[in-house]
Amino acid sequence: MIVAFAFLAGMTLVSALGVVVSRNVVHSALFMSGSFLGVAGFFVMLNAPALAAFQVLIYVGAVTVVILFGIMFTQRPQVRHFRSILQRQLWPGLFVALGVGAFLVYVLSIEDWAGTEPGNGPREVAALGEILLGVNGSPPIFGLLFEVISVLLLVAVIAAIVISRRKTGEGVDRGVEE
Amino acid sequence: MPPQAQQFIDALNATIPLEGYLVVGAIMFAIGAWGALVRRNAVVVFMCIELMINAVNLTLVAFADYLPGARGAGVGYAVLVIAVAAAEVAVGLAIALAVYRTRKTVNVDEVDLMKG
Repeated sequence: MIVAFAFLAGMTLVSALGVVVSRNVVHSALFMSGSFLGVAGFFVMLNAPALAAFQVLIYVGAVTVVILFGIMFTQRPQVRHFRSILQRQLWPGLFVALGVGAFLVYVLSIEDWAGTEPGNGPREVAALGEILLGVNGSPPIFGLLFEVISVLLLVAVIAAIVISRRKTGEGVDRGVEE
Repeated sequence: MPPQAQQFIDALNATIPLEGYLVVGAIMFAIGAWGALVRRNAVVVFMCIELMINAVNLTLVAFADYLPGARGAGVGYAVLVIAVAAAEVAVGLAIALAVYRTRKTVNVDEVDLMKG
């Protein structure tokens, strides 16, 4: 347990640092997918294997690919100096982040977590499905949230198309005969 | 087997306390917040926001597995959070694309149209 935990924690945190400090944006995206993979491993350790599968499919697969698409569309290839990828407020930002991290770690560790035992998670997919639909003893609000989320995803898909669509007659479609 | 070796193996097999997962989530959240505050590139800011969302998901799932009264509800919330984050990525990158098309940059220092 402790070996897997140390490996996953190192992978997650080092990759997360890599996202922030790497100069190349594509490297940032790949580091991000490494960090997501580490979190998926944590989900397996935490008795949520179905959620780990969702994590790999949605984050490591879909979100990383969408972000790589965004990088390809919006970046000019260039290698920059380390200083120029950061804003002027590097040190205030670092202090704020360190403060937030130290505060969270402090609050979470002074709490007395004795009496908590692993193994309460919905290990079976059927249990996870019952939670998501709010049936069989799980909070019934989940049934409503499930419906709201599906509407939200539909709205987001339409909004993404509307926002990123090129207006007619604006710009040139390369490779398309006019 | 000598008792020290047995002790060592027992220590390796011991269950991780809940604090371990919570501290990893907190540090990951802090790293994501740092990146979102200091990076100039809007796409990297999106990635750092995703890191923060994942840290919160990790905390939710850790609570769902460890707290006996939770009955796994945190995993359901994590699924909802993943769906909202996917919607956010789709719309956010579409906005970044639209900004790049009009301003030719995604540098968050230079994109200040709403300043007037």
